[in-house]
Amino acid sequence: MDVGTLAFSALYQFGDAFAFLVLSACGLAVIFGMMGVINLAHGEFIMCGAYVTVSATHAGLPLPLSIALGALVSGLVGVLVERVVIRHLYTRPLDTIVATWGLSLIATQGTLILLGSTLAGVGTPFGSFQVGGYSYSVYRLVLFGAAVAVLVGLYVLFNATRFGVMARATIQVPHMAAALGVDTRLVYSLTFALGAGLAGLAGGLYAPTMTLVPTMGTTFIMEAFVTVVVGGADVFLGTAPAAAVLAVVKATMTSLYGQLFGQIGLLLAVIIVIRVLPRGISGFLLRERA
Amino acid sequence: MNALLRFFRRLEGPQTLGRGPGFWIGFLVVLAGACAYPVFSDGYTVGNTVYFFTWIFMALGLSLIWGYGGALSFGQTAFFGIAGYSYGILTINFGAAYGFTLVAVVLAMAVAALFAVLLGYFLYFGRISGVFLGIVTLSVTLVLERFMAQTAGPEWKIGAARLNGFNGMSNMPPLTVPWPGGDIVLFPDVQLYYVVLGLLVVVYLGLRILVNSPFGNVLVAIRENPERAEMLGYDIRKYQLGAFVIGAALAGLSGVLYTSWGQYITPSSMGMTAAALPIVWVAVGGRSDLTTTLVGTVVVLSVFQALTIHGSQYALVVMGVLLVLTVLIAPNGLAFAAAGLIARLFRGRRAASPAGDA
Amino acid sequence: MPILETRALNKRFGGLHVTNNVDLALEAGEVHCLIGPNGAGKSTLFRLILGEHAPSSGSILFAGEDITAFKPFQRIRRGMSVKFQVPGIFKALSVRQNLEIAMQHHYEPAGLAAEIGRLLDFLNLAPEAGRLAGNLSHGQKQWLEIGMAISLKPRLLLLDEPTAGMSPEETHATGEMVKRLNAEGMTVLAVEHDMAFVRQVAHKVTVLHLGQVFAQGSIDAIVADERVADIYLGKAPDHAKPEGAHA
Repeated sequence: MDVGTLAFSALYQFGDAFAFLVLSACGLAVIFGMMGVINLAHGEFIMCGAYVTVSATHAGLPLPLSIALGALVSGLVGVLVERVVIRHLYTRPLDTIVATWGLSLIATQGTLILLGSTLAGVGTPFGSFQVGGYSYSVYRLVLFGAAVAVLVGLYVLFNATRFGVMARATIQVPHMAAALGVDTRLVYSLTFALGAGLAGLAGGLYAPTMTLVPTMGTTFIMEAFVTVVVGGADVFLGTAPAAAVLAVVKATMTSLYGQLFGQIGLLLAVIIVIRVLPRGISGFLLRERA
Repeated sequence: MNALLRFFRRLEGPQTLGRGPGFWIGFLVVLAGACAYPVFSDGYTVGNTVYFFTWIFMALGLSLIWGYGGALSFGQTAFFGIAGYSYGILTINFGAAYGFTLVAVVLAMAVAALFAVLLGYFLYFGRISGVFLGIVTLSVTLVLERFMAQTAGPEWKIGAARLNGFNGMSNMPPLTVPWPGGDIVLFPDVQLYYVVLGLLVVVYLGLRILVNSPFGNVLVAIRENPERAEMLGYDIRKYQLGAFVIGAALAGLSGVLYTSWGQYITPSSMGMTAAALPIVWVAVGGRSDLTTTLVGTVVVLSVFQALTIHGSQYALVVMGVLLVLTVLIAPNGLAFAAAGLIARLFRGRRAASPAGDA
Repeated sequence: MPILETRALNKRFGGLHVTNNVDLALEAGEVHCLIGPNGAGKSTLFRLILGEHAPSSGSILFAGEDITAFKPFQRIRRGMSVKFQVPGIFKALSVRQNLEIAMQHHYEPAGLAAEIGRLLDFLNLAPEAGRLAGNLSHGQKQWLEIGMAISLKPRLLLLDEPTAGMSPEETHATGEMVKRLNAEGMTVLAVEHDMAFVRQVAHKVTVLHLGQVFAQGSIDAIVADERVADIYLGKAPDHAKPEGAHA
């Protein structure tokens, strides 16, 4: 392999890992950053998005629309879950993590009962292209583009829209936002729906690349966890740089020793990072802003 | 006699429910019932009851870490799995003669505890707490599961022990007690029942002493207000690490007993679903007390077992519903919610009576 | 030798200079009050002394020993003790248990109960020994925490607004407590807003303004200082007032 091919291969691996980490984590990060809640059913929202996407594709809908539908349905389920469970636990963030674990159990096993142990998938679209004698999947490039688009979209949403301004006001000083007439309950509800919808989007985007089983959420959740732990509470200053750093670790370990060691490498990186930067990358970047 | 009284006093304290002669008479009655139970049952059923008991150690350990120490350790099954596999590897390689299986129990627990020391050092000395502690410990167990699941190839073996990937490791010898007239092999039957019951009593009483000791005092103080605890001069990291390691060793004991009970362990014993179950047992009964944890675990496991007749996936859905409802309705567990309800009823009646204001 | 000394202590949060070159010396046996308007940096200085924040530069000495790099619990073991602004008690535990946790490593098990009894009397909390700390009145919570702090028999007691939320009677009783402790040899550093309390207990007063030591002296001298009155009334130049620096 010449240098150019090698560089392209490394870049491709990095982009693939980066996209996976960003897309896995952003839904979890939005909910954690805005509400201080870790949603352990995150993986099941991803599963929901994937199942809806694949079912819609089987029903004849074009893939992009199916993915959008997957994200939408996950978001709506998110609204429901927020209404029924999460809303009652805002004062008890540690209990939320336990309750959402219960939801995860219900969703995984419920899907198993209702839809069986596996769902027929759809093929990965776009085929492949060649660089220096090696073939690469075009769809992986699409996924990278989607990850970047999600980050840009979130940036615009939180910085340039009315919802974004209200949401940021609500996380900073909830009672003040409420006093200024912001419907904080609605903001929390929409934020949770947004996080669930982003999870559904991740599921929809990755659905064509993997086997659909009720436990598929766990494939994503470890990566989502470590990205949020390393990143801290801020999506832009945390999740994105964390995903970039971890993608280097994961891509390197994966190409050297295989996928499993990519994950082990991630976990070790995280455990070391928290020893050095207890408040995550965003805490470090924000410099002890007490 | 005096020494006995002193011993009893150390079993009681503000950190445990149940004190005084009434409670201990009840305890002895239940214990006598448990001892007599095999007489009225058959070996097969008793063997299945032991299966329940093996899990209780992990639940008590989680109660110590989570209920008393306030730390969300969601990776208890990691220690369970590590100890289970360690027991398998040791006994498959060195056999069961000369009581080696008993040595293997201790060694396997030590491996789990050592792993907990390493992990706990990074977590607690990195000042990780709250939800992050929960998701990092959970990540560890998920990665371990995936690691063990891909060890199917023949190159994955330690000595004579094949790790065997997703199908799991099997055919390790059961616990074997050396005995003059010939070794006693503890198959899932009456003998194993008494051994495990004895262990359970020792661990339960030992933990009662621990949580009512100065160590337990500090642990509870850290749960209530870590900053204040540190500002009383306690190095809270060491106390948290101590509880974490003891809890891990107990999870390890569960893992060893489970493995020797069924002569079998698989990676899925560390997966997301397996990791959720101890949370359910401990949360439902009341995690902040050893006795409610113990009783809750036995009850929830019985319900689970009864439901499994209809399929384990149905039973797991019920477990999920139980967990969500517990958190929503009785966040401290059903035992404490019931106690609170009874107290309110009494107060309500007193307030309703004419002399209520006095 | 001063019991506590800060030398050229600085703390910056991002661009904010919250503690600006503070030199402070506490003589053993004095009751020293730290006052200043909101945002003056009093609480940050407290947190630096306790080791909850690391200073950007400068050093902290306790009884001559450099403790700048010490962890909070190590400073406590050297002989400091603190009462927080918001009562830092163990709410779900009984009053007696709160004190037991504070004292269990300083007394033999046999003597512990008697010592707790004595402290409960001193705090006027004897009738409340069995109650959950979270159910006490606000003033009683403050006293309980003072009790936990002094049970360590510290050489230096740090009090962060000890009378916040107390009635005038409770404030006065707290002042008497502090004076008795001081008479027994305890050095006290208190952040306080209540000037009646400061007048009651303080030997020396330091005024903090914009993170700097603005004035120092007896309470009478401070009260007479017009510049001090100006900063409280907002007349002093405060263009550089650090935003977001919490008191």
